[in-house]
Amino acid sequence: MRNRLAGLFWSLLFLAVPVLGVAVFAVAPSIDVWLPKDVSAHGKEIDSLFYFILALTGVVFIVTEMLLFWFIWKYDVAARGEEKATYIHGSHTLEVIWTIIPAVVMLFLAIYQMNAWADVKMRRPVMKPTVEVVARQFEWRLRYPGPDEELGTPDDLFLVNDLHVPVDEDVLVQLKSMDVLHSFFLPNLRIKQDAVPGMKIPVWFKATETGQYDLVCAELCGWGHYKMKGRITIESREDFDAWLEQKYREQEATQPNPQEDML
Amino acid sequence: MNLPSATACKNNQPTTTAPRLSLACLGVCCLLPILAGCGQTPAATFRPNMVESAKQRLQPEQEQQVATILEAMFGTPDNPVVLPETGLDIAKLRLAAGPVHSDIVGRKNGLFREHCSHCHGVTGDGMGPTAAFLNPYPRDYRPGWFKFKSTERADKPTHADLVTILNNGIYGTSMPSFELLGETKVDALVEYVKYLSMRGEAELSLMRYYFELDDEDEGKLPETRDFLIEEILLPVAERWQEAEDAVIEVPEMPEVDLTESIAMGKELFYGNKANCVKCHGVTALGDGQANDYDDWNKVVKQWSAELQSAHETSTSDMTSEERSEHRAWLAKSDRVLAGDALDPRTIQPRNLRQAIYRGGRRPLDLYYRIHAGINGAPMPAAAGTLSPDEIWHIVNYIRSLPYEFDGELGADRSMVARDRL
Repeated sequence: MRNRLAGLFWSLLFLAVPVLGVAVFAVAPSIDVWLPKDVSAHGKEIDSLFYFILALTGVVFIVTEMLLFWFIWKYDVAARGEEKATYIHGSHTLEVIWTIIPAVVMLFLAIYQMNAWADVKMRRPVMKPTVEVVARQFEWRLRYPGPDEELGTPDDLFLVNDLHVPVDEDVLVQLKSMDVLHSFFLPNLRIKQDAVPGMKIPVWFKATETGQYDLVCAELCGWGHYKMKGRITIESREDFDAWLEQKYREQEATQPNPQEDML
Repeated sequence: MNLPSATACKNNQPTTTAPRLSLACLGVCCLLPILAGCGQTPAATFRPNMVESAKQRLQPEQEQQVATILEAMFGTPDNPVVLPETGLDIAKLRLAAGPVHSDIVGRKNGLFREHCSHCHGVTGDGMGPTAAFLNPYPRDYRPGWFKFKSTERADKPTHADLVTILNNGIYGTSMPSFELLGETKVDALVEYVKYLSMRGEAELSLMRYYFELDDEDEGKLPETRDFLIEEILLPVAERWQEAEDAVIEVPEMPEVDLTESIAMGKELFYGNKANCVKCHGVTALGDGQANDYDDWNKVVKQWSAELQSAHETSTSDMTSEERSEHRAWLAKSDRVLAGDALDPRTIQPRNLRQAIYRGGRRPLDLYYRIHAGINGAPMPAAAGTLSPDEIWHIVNYIRSLPYEFDGELGADRSMVARDRL
């Protein structure tokens, strides 16, 4: 007869999974490994969807894991003595139930999130691009259209990695890739969009707070993927315009130190 | 993974121990990779310039002597040393050198190996593990040739020039921007690039010096301080220091109407005097002469041609000793050419209609480019042939090229060539 300890060990090991799993999620927000601060207009909806799905899957996770534990605990051969297990071929009813319930849940989620998806990916604001972002190994090349608001004209402003946008305004980014797949990821603005070579992809958002946040690549794009990090600065319209003007002056410099000339 | 070992155990062991054994197997499997990762990695070393060594036909003991001298003058990748004559700041170098780690105040060290060495190599020889995938190849710092700078063609770049390159990256190549690392880190990296470059130049100079030795020297370089500092280090270091005060003076842009200036620039572009059209092509798409090489590629190209003819040279009038020496040299050279040099590639003249300028897009940058040419590349300096006003006209014309459109296709606005793709 097998040792009762073995059954105890395995059942407790299985019990540790839901206990530790829940503990990690409970502790995470207090040690700052939770969702980054949201500064976007649409972010609340995305976050509440996230929490909703987390709660749903969390309950299923806990119940499933507890069942696993309970079965191992209850039907340990050492505890049940010589009683043999019964062979069953399967239960049609059970299978139908555990297929239909997840299917209904999935369908519900698909319909429930439709509006949020459309806001982020389909209902594009009617405007000219604020900035063109060209992803390339391993940096973000930026092009602002300049005063005429047209890309591809001599007053374009070319920059790299240092993205600036105005606060409380719709921002439309025209996203391109020069080489391979990249992903334009603004964690604080709840924006993530793949950049695909050969495509011009519109990305839009509205920032609600000023500040500086990360712009990172979220698609493994090559050896230097880890260094493909930019920065987004959200600032007031006045600051944004002043910054554009300053950068344009630097771009048009005909002498080494334009700042000194201006004094 | 667990299953086969459990069944194997079952064959000759009582069944009760089977789970315990399989557990042990599982444990060992999990531990193995951890144990393997614990081994000490060997300290990084600078790779000798084998191409130059083979070209100069250095003996192994001579290579060793060069390495010893260089280590005394410049230290190792983990522990750089600089003499005051170089003008380099050891504090900055320490920040950039060594393996990637955080020091006691939590400051990141080993910046060069974190950000640069996978392309430029630990030695700065432009032969890091990812180098062969890139076009153009990453810069080899060792000959001390840099393309995009504010000094005359043959001069070194200034510190500020290299900072600009790191901040802006080189659009059109694989060199990305490092601006967001912050001033201190970029500054430290630039200092380290200068250090690697000076080291590489000193190495070249040492290797070439064996030619000038007398019979009395018995094939060994003198190791006196006088020789090493005066003859080897100072000539290199001084050129870097001189560059700081040798920035090209740029006269103001002439006060001509822009359209007029562009028209004059266009005339010069296609004319015999400036003859930009020869390489950049009649369409300015960079489709002119396309069979030229950068200087560093030329070195490899010429040398492999020399080797080819050396292979074909008859060895019949050599003594048997000479012949075996010749064969050993050929074998070494072939090995070096295959392993220590990247395949030469032709240089593509710039397509001027893409609004992509490697050395910077400011009118100022373009002025420097035309005035001084591009060191290492076939682009010649125009300073002797063109007046500053003429250079400015060409700058204006070049800047108009991406947007130049004659309207024949019925488009209602100008377009960057890149947008048509």
